[in-house]
Amino acid sequence: MKSVFIVYNQANTERVEYMLDKLGIRGFTQWEDVKGRGSVDGEPRMGTHTWPEMNTALMAIVQDEKVEELLSAVKKLDDINHEVGVKAFVWEILQMV
Amino acid sequence: MSIYSTAVKKPVSTIMIFIAVIVFGNYSLLYLPVDMYPEIEPPYITVMTTYVGANAEEIETNVTKLIEDGLNSVDDLKEVTSRSEDNVSVVTLEFDWEADLTEAVNDIRDALEFVKDKLPDDAESPLIFKFNTSSFPILFYAVNANESFNGLEKILEEKIVNPLNRVNGIGSVSVIGAPGRRIYVECDPLKLDAYGITVEQIGQLIGTENMNVPSGHIKMGQFDYQLRVEGEFNDSYELEKLVVGNNNGKTVYLKDIASIRDVKREKELDERFEGNPGMRLMIMKQSGANTVQVANDAKKMLEELKESLPPDVNFFEIMDSSSDIEKSINNLSQTLMFALIFVVLVVLLFLGKWRATFIIVLTIPISLIVSFTYLFVSGNSINIISLSSLSIAIGMVVDDAIVVLENIIKHIERGSSPREAAIYATKEVWLSVIATTLVVVAVFFPLTLVGGQTGVLFKQLGWIVTITVVTSTIAAITLTPMLSAQMLRLKESKTGKRSFYDRTVVRVLESIDNGYAKIVNWSIHHKKVIIPLVTVIFVGTMMLAGSLKFENMPEQDQSGMEVNVELQTGMRVEESMATAREIEAYIQKEMPEVKLTYTSSGSDDEGGISSIMFESATHTINMRLKLVDISDRNRSVWDLADVVREKLEVLPEIISYTVSTSSGMSFGGGSNGVDVEIFGYDIKTTTRIANEIAGRLKTINGAADVKISREKEKPQLQVIFDRDKLSEYGLNTATASMAVRNRISGMIASKFREEGDEYDIVVRYDEKARNTIADIENITIMTPTGKLVRVSELGTVEEYWAPPRIERKQRQRMVTVSAVAAKGLALSDLAELVKTELKEVDLPGDVWISVGGAYQDMQENARDLGLLFLIIIILVYIVMASQFESLKMPFIIMLSILFSFSGVVLALYITDTTMSTIAMLGAILLVGIVVKNGIVMIDFMNLLRERGVELHEAVVTACRSRLRPILMTAMTTILGMMPMALSVSEGSEIWAPMGITVIGGLLFSTVITLVIVPVVYVLMARKGARNKKAKLAKTFKFMEA
Repeated sequence: MKSVFIVYNQANTERVEYMLDKLGIRGFTQWEDVKGRGSVDGEPRMGTHTWPEMNTALMAIVQDEKVEELLSAVKKLDDINHEVGVKAFVWEILQMV
Repeated sequence: MSIYSTAVKKPVSTIMIFIAVIVFGNYSLLYLPVDMYPEIEPPYITVMTTYVGANAEEIETNVTKLIEDGLNSVDDLKEVTSRSEDNVSVVTLEFDWEADLTEAVNDIRDALEFVKDKLPDDAESPLIFKFNTSSFPILFYAVNANESFNGLEKILEEKIVNPLNRVNGIGSVSVIGAPGRRIYVECDPLKLDAYGITVEQIGQLIGTENMNVPSGHIKMGQFDYQLRVEGEFNDSYELEKLVVGNNNGKTVYLKDIASIRDVKREKELDERFEGNPGMRLMIMKQSGANTVQVANDAKKMLEELKESLPPDVNFFEIMDSSSDIEKSINNLSQTLMFALIFVVLVVLLFLGKWRATFIIVLTIPISLIVSFTYLFVSGNSINIISLSSLSIAIGMVVDDAIVVLENIIKHIERGSSPREAAIYATKEVWLSVIATTLVVVAVFFPLTLVGGQTGVLFKQLGWIVTITVVTSTIAAITLTPMLSAQMLRLKESKTGKRSFYDRTVVRVLESIDNGYAKIVNWSIHHKKVIIPLVTVIFVGTMMLAGSLKFENMPEQDQSGMEVNVELQTGMRVEESMATAREIEAYIQKEMPEVKLTYTSSGSDDEGGISSIMFESATHTINMRLKLVDISDRNRSVWDLADVVREKLEVLPEIISYTVSTSSGMSFGGGSNGVDVEIFGYDIKTTTRIANEIAGRLKTINGAADVKISREKEKPQLQVIFDRDKLSEYGLNTATASMAVRNRISGMIASKFREEGDEYDIVVRYDEKARNTIADIENITIMTPTGKLVRVSELGTVEEYWAPPRIERKQRQRMVTVSAVAAKGLALSDLAELVKTELKEVDLPGDVWISVGGAYQDMQENARDLGLLFLIIIILVYIVMASQFESLKMPFIIMLSILFSFSGVVLALYITDTTMSTIAMLGAILLVGIVVKNGIVMIDFMNLLRERGVELHEAVVTACRSRLRPILMTAMTTILGMMPMALSVSEGSEIWAPMGITVIGGLLFSTVITLVIVPVVYVLMARKGARNKKAKLAKTFKFMEA
C-alpha cells in the first residue's frame, strides 16, 4: 500500500476527482484551501490579495500497482497547463487498522 | 458556501432569482406614472385673509401684522413674507425643505385660532393654502367663439366639463375667465327719490317675491296633497312687472323706475385668443395619476366631445404638459438607447467575444430594472431626473462584470474548466470588486442626504446610482460567473491561424499598450520634466476657472414666454386693451415663430383665490406666447424675447414690462435674476431709494426687465362722513357706507334660478348716475325717520393717493428691485455689477439693503455642493485608505481628482458653457469615476511590488496591463454621456452641462492620470518599500546573531 499526496490548484478540483473515479480509487482524504509555494518556480498560493489563488491537498492510499497509473494521470493533468499546477508525492504505508 | 460558488452550482436558482427581479421591475415599470419632474411639495404655505373695504395700510396693521406675529413661532419656519393690498392680506410662510408640511398646517391652524379674536370683526376667517406640483394643470386650453360666445360658459360646462370629469385620473376641470350671467336692476335715482323708494327696499322686495314656500299638506278624500306657494321667477322679465309701490292710486312697477338687464357679468378683464374673446379650460389631474395617460385620455375624450359643439367654437392648446413630457422622456429614452449601444460596442471591441459581451451587457438591464422597483416602492415616477440618472449609471454598471469576466477568461485560457474557472476566478476578485463599488457608493450615497430644492434633484440620482451599482455588483459576482460557467467554452482547435479580430483590433490595442508602456517608462525616469509640466497645466487651467461664468441652473428653452406690461396706474381696461391689440399685431408681423398668443388685460373684479398667485389690475396686460418646436425655428426663445422687448421699449404708454422665458414649473430654470431687497418702514423713502436703484440698474448693459415690486401710488376716492351730522340724522358710518356701497357696487338681492343654476340679481344705480364725484355726492340715503338726505350733506368726497400694495418680509416693510440677466451676461457678473452700483447709493440710517434672488439660491447651492464635496472626499479617502491599508496611497489617487477639475474647467471654457449647479454635480460624479481608474492602477502596482517585482518594472507592467480596463471604463462612460452632452432638443439644456463636464473631465483626467499616477507612485513608493524591509529586519534579529 502506498500513500499518494496530491497538491493542486483549486481550479483542478473537478479534474482530480474525475481522475480518481476513472482509476477506480475510492478512498481519499481532502483538505480544501491550503497554502503553499513551489520549490523552484511554483507560484505562491496564499489566498491573499497579492497571491489570491489557493490549493487543495488530497491524500489517497492505493495499492502499489495503482501508483504508476495515478502518477501518469497526474502528469497528463499537469501537461494541460503547467501554470495551473498539480504535484504528487508518494509514501510507503507501514501499517493500517 | 460562498455566494458565487452557490450561484455557479445552482444555475437554475440563480436564473430564477434574477427573473423574479426582472418581473418585479417590469411590473413596477407598468404601473409607474410618467411625469416631467419628481413630485415635490414646495415648502410654502399661504394664509389669505379678506377684509373687504380696507385699503393696503389698514390691512397691514389690522390683519397682516397680527397674523405674522401669531405665526412666527411655528416650527421649522424659515421666512415670512406678506402682501397687503386692498381687501386682502396674503401671508406666505416658507419652511425648510425637510419640514413636515402637514404638521406645519396643523400648527398654523392652532396659531390662527389665537389670532382670530384679535382680527377685525368684518374680516373673514383666514384661509390656509398649500401648493403641490402635482396640482398644476396638465392641460390648458383657450376656447373662443363668435356667435356662441354668450352661451359659451353653459355649453362648456355641460358638454365638456361634466363628461371630462368622469375620465379616470382627472382631478378637476375648470373654466376660467367665464363671464357668468347676472341680472342687473339699475335704478334711476331721480325716480327713486320721486317715489320715495330706496335701493334697499327694492332689494328686499325682490328677495321676498322670489320665493317658493312649502305650506304644509292637505288631506282630501283618499289622498294627501302637498301644498306649495310658488313665487319664484321663471323668467327674468317677470322682474319688470314687480309692484314696488303705489303713487296717487297708480301702481308703480319696477320697470317704471329701473331698467332690468339680463346679461353677462360686467368685468374688468378682457381675454383674447388670437384676437377673439374667449375663456380658458384648465384640466388638473389627481395626485399620483399618470400625467401622460390622463392627458391622452382627456384629449381623446375632448376630440369626441368637440363634435357636439357649435361650429364657431374653437379650441387652442395653450399648454399640454403630456406632450412636453413625452418629448422629453422620448429624448431621454433615446439617449439611454444610444448609451446602451455605445457600451455594447465598446465591450465588444475590447473583448472581441460575442458570448462574453452578452454576459456583461446582460447586467445592464438587470441593474436598471431594479431601479424601477425602487421608484415604484418609493412612490416616485419616471421623470427626466430618474431617466438621466439611469443614463449616468449605465456606463458604470458594466465595470464590475468586466473585471470578473476577465479573470474567468484568464482561468479558462489557462486550461481550467469553465465551471471551476468561474468559481475560483470570482473568489480571487470579488473583494476588490466590492471595494471599488464602495467607492462609487461613497460618492453617490451622500447625494441622497442633500436637502433643499436641489436635494429633490440629487436624491433620486443618488439612490438610483447607488442601487444600480450595488445591483450590478451583486449580478457581477453571481450571475456573471454562473453564465460564464454555462456559456463560455475553451476553444479546442488551435489552428495557429489568427482570427480577424486578433489580426486587427488586438494588434492595434497591443501597439497602444506598448506605446503607453514606453511613455510611462520615459516619464518615471524624467520626473523633473513631468512634474513641473503637469503643475503648469494644472495652474493654467485653474486660472481659466476665473473667467468662467456662473449661474444657478441652466436656462431652458421651453418654447413659450410670458409678457407682463404695466401701464399708467388707474388706466381703464379699455385703454389697456388697445395697447394689448397693438402688441399683438406687432408679434403677428415680426414673429412668425409664435404659434399661439393669449392675452388678458385688466383684472377680474372677483379676484378670490387667484389673487394669491396673480397680481393684476385694470392697467396690466398679461400675454402668453407659445412658440413652435425648437427644431422648427432658428431663433431661440431668448432672441425672440429680445424682439418683444424692442417693441415694448418704444411704446410710450408702457410704464414697465417684463418678458419671462420660463413657465412657472421648472427646476429653478426659472428666474435668472438678482433681487435687491430694500427694507424700511417709511414708504416714501424706500420708494425713492427703489427708484434710484432701478435707475442705476437700467444703466447696466445686459440687465433686463428691471422692475420695482411696489406699484405706484394709486388715486382713490374716499367718502369722509362727518359723525356729528350722521348722528343728527340718526345714521352711523355702517349704515351710511353700506348705503353707498349698495348704490355703486350693487346689492345682491336674491338669486334667479334656471335649469339648476343660480344667478345673482343685483340692484344698484344706473350707470349714468355713478360716474362722477358729483354723482357720489348726490347719492340719497334714507334716515330712520324716512327723510332723504344726500351724501354731500353728510360729508365730503376726497381724492387721495394710496399705495396699492405693501410687501413685507421677516415682518419688515420691503421693496424689491429685480433685474434679469439677459442673454450674454451671466448671473454672477450681473450680481457683481449690481453690487458695485449699490455701493454708490446713499442710504438713510433706517433703511437697509440685501441682495437675493436666484443669485442667493446659487450661492446657497454652491455652498451646499461644496460641503457635499468635502463629505464625499472624506468618505472616498476612508474607503481607499482601508482598501490599500495605507494613509498615503489615497493621496496619489486624489491627485487625479484635481486633474479632473482641470478637465472640467477646460471643457466648460472651450464649449463656452456656464458653470451651473448641474455642471458642479457632474464634477462630483467625476470623483467616483476617476478614483476608480486610479484604484485599478495603484492596486496592481502594489500587487506586483509585493510579489517582489522591481519598482520601475512593476510600475510599467502594471500600467501596461491596466491600460485596457481603464480605457474601457472611461470609454463606456464618455460614450454613454455623449448623447446627453450633444442633445439639442427640449429639456436638454439642463443636462448637457453635466455631459460636458463629465466627458471633459474624464477625458482630460484619464490622459493626465495615466502619466502622473505612475510618476507620483515611483516618488512615494520607493521610500515606503525600503522602510518595510528594514522594519521587518528590525523585528526579527535572531538571524543576525
